[in-house]
Order: sequence, then structure tokens, then C-alpha cells
Amino acid sequence: MGYLWHQLSGAVPLIFQGNPYILRVTWVTIQVAAVATGLALIIGLPLGLTLGLGRFRGRRTLQILANTTLALPPVLVGVLGLLFLLPQGPFGSLRIEFTLSAVFLAQTLLALPYIVALTPAAIQGLPPGLLAQARVLGAGRLQLARLALREAKIGVMAAVIAALGSALSEVGAVILVGGNVQGYDQTLASAVVQEVGPDSNYQYALALGIVLLALVFVLMAVLTVLQQRTSGINLRFRQVAR
Amino acid sequence: MYALWETLRAAVPLITKGNPYLFSIIWFTIQVAAVGTAIAVVIGLPIGLVIGAGRFRGRRILHAFANASLGLPPVLVGFFLLLLFVPQGPLGGLQLPITRRAVFIAQTVLALPYVVALTAAAVQGLPPGLLAQARVLGAGRRQLYTLALREARIGVIAGVIAALGTTLSEVGAIVVVGGNVYGYDQTLASAALFEANAVHLTDAVALGMVLVILILILMGGLGALQQWGGGIRLRFRTVT
Repeated sequence: MGYLWHQLSGAVPLIFQGNPYILRVTWVTIQVAAVATGLALIIGLPLGLTLGLGRFRGRRTLQILANTTLALPPVLVGVLGLLFLLPQGPFGSLRIEFTLSAVFLAQTLLALPYIVALTPAAIQGLPPGLLAQARVLGAGRLQLARLALREAKIGVMAAVIAALGSALSEVGAVILVGGNVQGYDQTLASAVVQEVGPDSNYQYALALGIVLLALVFVLMAVLTVLQQRTSGINLRFRQVAR
Repeated sequence: MYALWETLRAAVPLITKGNPYLFSIIWFTIQVAAVGTAIAVVIGLPIGLVIGAGRFRGRRILHAFANASLGLPPVLVGFFLLLLFVPQGPLGGLQLPITRRAVFIAQTVLALPYVVALTAAAVQGLPPGLLAQARVLGAGRRQLYTLALREARIGVIAGVIAALGTTLSEVGAIVVVGGNVYGYDQTLASAALFEANAVHLTDAVALGMVLVILILILMGGLGALQQWGGGIRLRFRTVT
């Protein structure tokens, strides 16, 4: 126990002294989480709504495909990312391999399946007839989408929480496409991997880990409160026929 | 596009040629997935059932705790285990860092929250009154948990699928505690990370392809089991 205490007493001051390296990595992590979750929502929500609400042939097949992408290992996303981004690859001319942009891209790709797959699951879990009724009452496509989104809010928020969690925690893709360059495109999680590597510094690793844990806890808590707070106004039919 | 196609095409013979290095990684990955998931189920299922069906003070707090543990970054799980395992640490005498046993332990610890939290959630999602009715009809503790497990099996299997997926895909924890040693304690995922990091993309793609096939077979099998057993919900008669 003395050993753990020793490491901890070395790590805590690093956090509170405002160490520039830790501050930089924290700031990058917040950016990555915000950009990845934001982009995943912008791209994924329309796709998820279409899958959940649409009545077209092949919808179930697409849903199964979306569910499958949830099981995609982050490392594989990283390998494929490298294949596409290295100079010989199709997007090699962009020259974004081993840059922060590549990290943004990788974490967006990892967060996207959660939104695309879990949004339709939440919509399909709505009381049967709710959406059919709205359709009968003459709701347009946009109104229908808004109704579904509001009613399935708990499930959609769960998807956002999962997406944010993967953006904050995953390292497999980030290390590969970003190169895990110290103090440049490292997230808190990938910086921990480096600090326990060959030139290990456990006190830095512990300090980074504590900051990551605090960040995960605060963001998850805020989203969970948002998720639960709105659950009271489920099933308000009146606004549909506006 | 040409280079991409060439890499993919070069990767296929690496798999079909039957290379012993690849076989040993596949075998180790299957072992890690089987052991990690099985131990997580053995430990996690009873805990999840008690949290989901039990009636004791602090049940909600335990459930919240189980949910929160789902959000734990794998890298941190690995690092905290490493701090316990290093020679100066509390479990230093076991000499676990950079061994295969450490990889087994790390993936078990990562899989556990999925089994606990999703089992508890599935049991709580049962029709209200089902367990109360069984209690009134005189079901003992064992019968009650058996009933809860059987009725909530779709959700419970979802937990097992998630646990299995983690043991197959996650690299954060095993790289940290296992050291990702070439040819020794690498899983398909961590070996792919290793090769891609060295820009051996053909090898990385080959390992990745095998991993995807393994995931599709194992998780698809469990998914089929889940759906197949889903039709016979709510059989009350065998309770008493």
C-alpha cells in the first residue's frame, strides 16, 4: 500500500500545479470528445431517425448492419484509417495522417455507430401505435421525426452517452492514425498508454488517469441528469397535430 | 485506390497460407475470450441477479455503481491493475506484469461490468409484479433467481455478448498490463495494433480480417441463441 500511496502523492500535485503537458492533453481530449460526439450526432441522428421511422424495403437489413458496426474493434478502425490516410491511400493527398485531424476523424467514426444503431432501437421501443397515430393525424416527416426524438429521448441520450464514452476512452484508433505524438495529438487515455510504455513515468500516468476519470465522471453525470430530467414529460400527444 | 486494393489482396494469402504465428495468436485470442467471458459470467451473473431482484438497502446505489463501471476507460483499468501488479505493489509477489495471466485478468475485469450491469437492468425490466407474484406464491430465493434469469434471458445474453465483444476487441488494458509482447501475449486486436504501429499494414489487415471473422462467428452465434430462445417468454407454470 505504501507504494500506491507514494505514487498518488506524486501524481496529485502534478494535477493542481497546472502542469502544461497535462493541461494540453486535457484540452485536446475535451476537443476530441466534443468534435467526435458533435459530428457523430450531426451525421448519425438523421441516419438513425431514417432507420427508426422509415418504412422502406431493406430497413431491417440496414439495421442489422448498423448493429454490426457496434462490434467493430477500434483497432480495426485505426488500421483501416491508416490504409486510407497514408500517402499511398485514397485520401493520402489530404496529408492528415498523424495529425489531430486524423484523431478527430477516428473518434468520430468510432462514436457514429452508437448514434446510428441505438437511435432506431430507442424509436422502435416506443409504445406501438404512437407514431402510426401521429401519421394518421397528418404529421409531416419533420414533425414525426421531432415527435420520435422527443419520445425516445432516454434511449437517444443513452446513445449520446455511449458515443461520448468511446470518444473519451478508446485508444486503439487514436494511437494508430494519430501516432500518439507526445503533447500534440494525444488524448488523456492514449497519453496514459505512452506513460506506462518504455519511458514509463507512473506519476504522470496516474495524474493523467485521475483527470480522465474525473472528466468521464463529470460529463457522464451531466448527461445522465439531462436524460433523467426530461423523462417526466414522456407521451405528450397534444403537440402533434399543431 | 490501387495501393489499398493491393494491401487487401496481399493480406488474404497470409491468412489462407496457415501461418503458425497467426494460429498461435488466434488460439490465444479464443482462450482469452472464453476465459474472460466465462469468469465474468460466473462472478457477474449472481451479482447482477441480486442487484436486479434483491430487496435490500443500497440496491440502487450498487446498480448506479455497476452502471458507472461501464464507463471506465480500459486503459485506466489496465493501469490500475498494473499498479497492483508491479513488484513494489500490493500484489507484486504474484509476478503478473507482462504475462499471459495478466491479459486474462485484465479482460475478465473489463468484461465483468457488462454482465453485472446488463443482467441487473434486464431483471429490472421484467413485467412489474412477475417476481412479486412468484414471491407470494412461495418461491424460495433460488427459485426466484432462476425465474428472473430465465425470464430476463434476452437481456442477460445481451450482457454476455457485450462482455465477449470487449474481451475480443479491447486493447487498452492488455497493452498496459501485458506489454503487447510479440508472439507471446498478443491477442488479434493487440497484434493488429502492434503491426499497424510498425506500418506493417498487410499483416495488420490480415490480423484484422481474422478478428472480424471471429467476432462475427462468436457474436453471431450468441445473437442467434438469444433470438431463438426469445419466443418462450413468461412460462409461469414451472415456478412452484
